[in-house]
Amino acid sequence: MKTRRLTVGMLVAASALLGGCVTSTVDEMVFNAPTVESMEDASVVILGRRHASDYETEPDFISCIGDHIKRGNSEVEIIAELDFMNALYPWFEPRTAPLRPADIDRLLLQPPVADKLADLKTEYMIWIDGTTVQTNASGSMSCAVGPGGAGCFGFGTWGNDSNYEATIWDFTDKAEVGRVSTSTSGQSYMPAVVVPIPIIAPVKGTACDSLGDQLLQFLSSGY
Amino acid sequence: MSGSMTSDPRQPTRQALGRWLLLASLLLLGACGAKQVVVTGKYPQPLMSRQPLTLGVFYPDEFRGHEFFDEAKGRADSDWLVKTGDAQIRMWSTLFNGMFEQVIFLDEAPVGDTEVPEVDAVLIPRVDELQYAIPTHTNIKVYEIWMRYAFELNAPDGTSIAQWTMTAYGKTPTAFLQTDEAAVNLAAVVALRDAGAHFATLFPNVPDVANWLQSRNRTVAAGTTP
Repeated sequence: MKTRRLTVGMLVAASALLGGCVTSTVDEMVFNAPTVESMEDASVVILGRRHASDYETEPDFISCIGDHIKRGNSEVEIIAELDFMNALYPWFEPRTAPLRPADIDRLLLQPPVADKLADLKTEYMIWIDGTTVQTNASGSMSCAVGPGGAGCFGFGTWGNDSNYEATIWDFTDKAEVGRVSTSTSGQSYMPAVVVPIPIIAPVKGTACDSLGDQLLQFLSSGY
Repeated sequence: MSGSMTSDPRQPTRQALGRWLLLASLLLLGACGAKQVVVTGKYPQPLMSRQPLTLGVFYPDEFRGHEFFDEAKGRADSDWLVKTGDAQIRMWSTLFNGMFEQVIFLDEAPVGDTEVPEVDAVLIPRVDELQYAIPTHTNIKVYEIWMRYAFELNAPDGTSIAQWTMTAYGKTPTAFLQTDEAAVNLAAVVALRDAGAHFATLFPNVPDVANWLQSRNRTVAAGTTP
C-alpha cells in the first residue's frame, strides 16, 4: 500500500515538474516609439477583437496580458477590459468598436464619450486578436469505477496552437504605432496507469508571456 | 447501542454501495434532462447625449416572460429552455433611461384611439425569434445566441410612426470547467448588450424615425406644440 502511495506521489510530483514542450515565435513592428515621458498620468486599455465568426479572443487571455504588464511595471495603469467597455457602452461592443485609429475622431464627436476618455487618461489602446486551438489529438484511455476503487489506463496526446496579434494605437496622435504578434505551439501528454498524469504544455500561458513581454518593453521604452 | 455496534458488518457497505449506485444513476439520468438557463447579467447605462423625448414604453406580456424552448433532436441531445424575459426588461429599461430624457413605463397596452398622456411617443418592443448554437451542434468552439427584435413606435394617439426589425448576436468561447448553461447565459448577455448597442446607434437612423424626429425638431423650433 505504501509503495503504491509512493509511486502515485512520485508520478504527481513528476507531472508538476514536467511540462509539455512549447515553442514560441514573436514578431514585432514598431512604427513610432512611445513619446510619453511617463506613464504615471496615463492609462492603457487592452481589448479583445471579437469580429470573427468562428473564434473569439478569450477574455482570460486579455486579463493575463494586463496582469503581466502590471507585474513588470507597476507605473503602467491598465484599465480592465470589461470596466472600459462598461464605462463606454455601447461604443466598444463588437458591433460598434472602432476598426481603424481614424474612427476614434468619430467617437470623440460625442461630448460624453470625449469627456469619459479624457477622464480615463487613455494614452494607448491595444487590440488583441487571435485564439488558442487544439490541433490534433490521439491515443485512448479507459477508466472504470467499481466497488473496490477506480482507475484509468491508456495514453493520450494533443497539440495546441496559439496565434495572437496585438495592435497598438496611440490615442493622442490617433495613429497605429506598433504591432506585435506571437505564434506558439506545444504538445501535451497524458499517460494513465491507474491515475492519469497530465503533462500539459502551457501554450496559452507562453503566448501571454511572450506578447506581454514585448508590450511591456514597448510601454516602458519611452522613459 | 451495543446491538448496533455488533450488527452485520456488511450492512454499511451495502448501504454505501446503494447510495453510490443511486448517485451514479441520478448523474446519468441528469445528463438526459432538460437544460434550463435563466439569463442573468449586468447591463451598463449607455454613454450618450439623451434624446430630448418623453418616451412611453410598453413591454407586452410575451416580452416580459420571453423564453425559448428547443426540444432535443436525438438521444444524445438535451432539451433547452432559455428564459430571457427578466434580463430583457433589465437591459432595455437601463438602455431607454440612458437614451431618452424621460421614460414612462406603461402598465397597460395603449388601446385604439385612447391617447396616452404626457408622452411624445410609445415604443413597443417584441422578440420575434431566438436561435442558439452550442459546440455539439456546430463543431466550432463557441456558444452563440441570435435574436431578432421587432419595434413599433406609435404616436400618443396610437397612429404608427415607425416599425422596424433589428438583429442581435452574442457569442462566447468554450472555457475550461464551464458548463453549457453558463456559456449559453454568457452568450445571451453578450447578445443583449449587442441588442442595446444596435438599438442605440440605429434608432435615430431608422428612416421613419429620422423623419419624425426632424419634423418634431422643426415644430419645437417653431415654438408650437408637436
